[in-house]
Amino acid sequence: MKGWQERYTALFGAAMLIAIVSQPIASALGSLARQADPSRAGSGLALVAVAYAAYLTLARAAGPVVVSAADASWRLLSPLPRRTVLGRTTLALLAISVSSGLVLGVALISALGAPDHTSLRLTVALVLGVGAGLGGMALTVLGQASPAWDEWAQALIAFTVMAAVLLAVLGAGPGRHLTTVLAGAPVGLAVAAAGCAAAVATFLVRQAWTALDRLPARAIIAASARSGQVAQATVMVDPGALTWAAEDNHWRARTLRSRPWPVRGAWALAWQEVRRTARRPVRFAVLVSSCALPALAVAAGLTGVATVLVVAGALGAAASVTAGARRDSDNPALSRLLAVGRRAATSARALPPALLGAAWLSAALAGMSAAGALSAGPWWLLGPACAPALAAAALRMAGRRPVDHSLPIIDTPGGAIPTGPLLWAMTGVDLALVGCAPTLVALAVQPADLIPYLMAQALTGLGVIGGYTFAATGHKR
Amino acid sequence: MKTEIISARGVRVDLGGRAVLRGVDLTAGPGQIVAVAGENGVGKSTLLRCLAGLHSPSAGHVEVLDAPPADTAGFWREVALTGDEPAWYPGMSVREHLELAVSVHDGGRLSVEEALTAFDLQERAELHPLALSTGQRQRLSLAMALIRPSRLLLLDEPERGLDTAFRARLAGVLRRYAAEGGSVIMATHDHELAGECGARLVTLEAAV
Repeated sequence: MKGWQERYTALFGAAMLIAIVSQPIASALGSLARQADPSRAGSGLALVAVAYAAYLTLARAAGPVVVSAADASWRLLSPLPRRTVLGRTTLALLAISVSSGLVLGVALISALGAPDHTSLRLTVALVLGVGAGLGGMALTVLGQASPAWDEWAQALIAFTVMAAVLLAVLGAGPGRHLTTVLAGAPVGLAVAAAGCAAAVATFLVRQAWTALDRLPARAIIAASARSGQVAQATVMVDPGALTWAAEDNHWRARTLRSRPWPVRGAWALAWQEVRRTARRPVRFAVLVSSCALPALAVAAGLTGVATVLVVAGALGAAASVTAGARRDSDNPALSRLLAVGRRAATSARALPPALLGAAWLSAALAGMSAAGALSAGPWWLLGPACAPALAAAALRMAGRRPVDHSLPIIDTPGGAIPTGPLLWAMTGVDLALVGCAPTLVALAVQPADLIPYLMAQALTGLGVIGGYTFAATGHKR
Repeated sequence: MKTEIISARGVRVDLGGRAVLRGVDLTAGPGQIVAVAGENGVGKSTLLRCLAGLHSPSAGHVEVLDAPPADTAGFWREVALTGDEPAWYPGMSVREHLELAVSVHDGGRLSVEEALTAFDLQERAELHPLALSTGQRQRLSLAMALIRPSRLLLLDEPERGLDTAFRARLAGVLRRYAAEGGSVIMATHDHELAGECGARLVTLEAAV
């Protein structure tokens, strides 16, 4: 039983939370009472669609029905009713769906604005958001129970991604009036849409609730094992272990079609990344499409976010093709069997991240240029100029050791900073920031003449990769 | 002219203030197989790590191929080591792992098909190594070491996870390697495997 102290603490905490967030929420709601900006509505809606696709993908990847290791071992395989065993999980999924749905609803009304009936339109947006959140989660639960429903969940994700692309394209010009029409839809029509969304969500939640009783134990156990790895990696603050768990699970379940190596010598190490990337076409397609995100952020009026996305995306693209280097750094047994000299191996391992990082950055900058966020000039050339720095940063990231939890925690007025995770997170990013500094400065100052920045970037990139190679290889061959 | 591939004299290794190896002597010439046996904890794996240049002895002298062992590419081009299971590369099948070894070394001792047959992995060639059983992964580790050219094989408990029938085949593979002039040093608990290889047995005693 809860004592009065616990109840008082909970009530006091809730009151404090309301007092703190009421003012920003009130001012945010006040700012909604406006016509949608036609140039931003499409991009804003596209970002909402991307967020919803990510929500569905995460829910599907997580399970979403998982239980603790103890419950998976004992209670799940007992004669207890499945719904009783899954009670806490169900409540957690409900809370996650509703809160994610509320965020989606707020994002939706922020993108569309509310020209009239502000509170009614806000309610409609929240109902749509919560309906999408609950319905999407219910669909992934059903997908865990039956492959037929899982196909529906996959179709919904694909449809949402396509809708995001379409909205981004429409918002960029050719169909801008369509998003304006959508934003200014009569309130009656919006209420009807919310009603439909609520009805579909109710149907799916009801189906999912019924399916919970016949959810196969093997599906829950497999998902629980995955989430157990996630939890362990999170508790240990070891994201490296987390990504390996996901990667290994992916390949363990597949039969591959072997192909001969088209290159010999150290360059076979570079081809290894090409082959791995080609075997994950969906992930590669997501990576390729993500280079439109900075332009989308620019179109939605988020220029600062666009700059962060450019740097993070280029580094992410480069880091996505360093699996071999990461493996060799974690466990050098195979690299000793291959016996490639350090300098030759570093050169070969640097090629895929340099090419992919450069291509991603060039495309992203070309997109931002087309969206009108950049001054005139060949901005896309900064991609190849940044390539060596991105490759060095990605390889440094691949070679980092696990988080060192023995490092001290620094107390600051803003809170405690654990230096171990901080240093781990900054390893690689530091080299990217230094190595791409001329590009970052150019993005900030928008120079009339880009050529000096291009020259500076090319020299900085070569300097960084040269320094990295020298430091990484030392005097050993 | 020296004919020894490995020459270890008076090797002593202290770990945590305790002597793990004391005064160990070991030599091996081309074409010889040496089985290092002994109870758990007597330092078999530590001796192998010293021979591989991964651990410096506290005292004594180790030479491999006429030079102190060093963790460099030049050393590993002559020496192949298998111990704990390696971390397999993501997205590559069993066959592609073997082909990578052959491609990187610009040719191998065995062709990929010969290695798959010798290590009974033909049926599993299109799977990722993580989809194999423990014993099959051990066979792949050994195949990775034996498919590439080398002059010295360092094997730490090669019998780990292998079924009895395959141990006899492994003995044949190692005998062929030695017949081609290579040297094998293996730490093992399997006296039968050592016998079938025709290995010289060196038994380590606990350092006191």
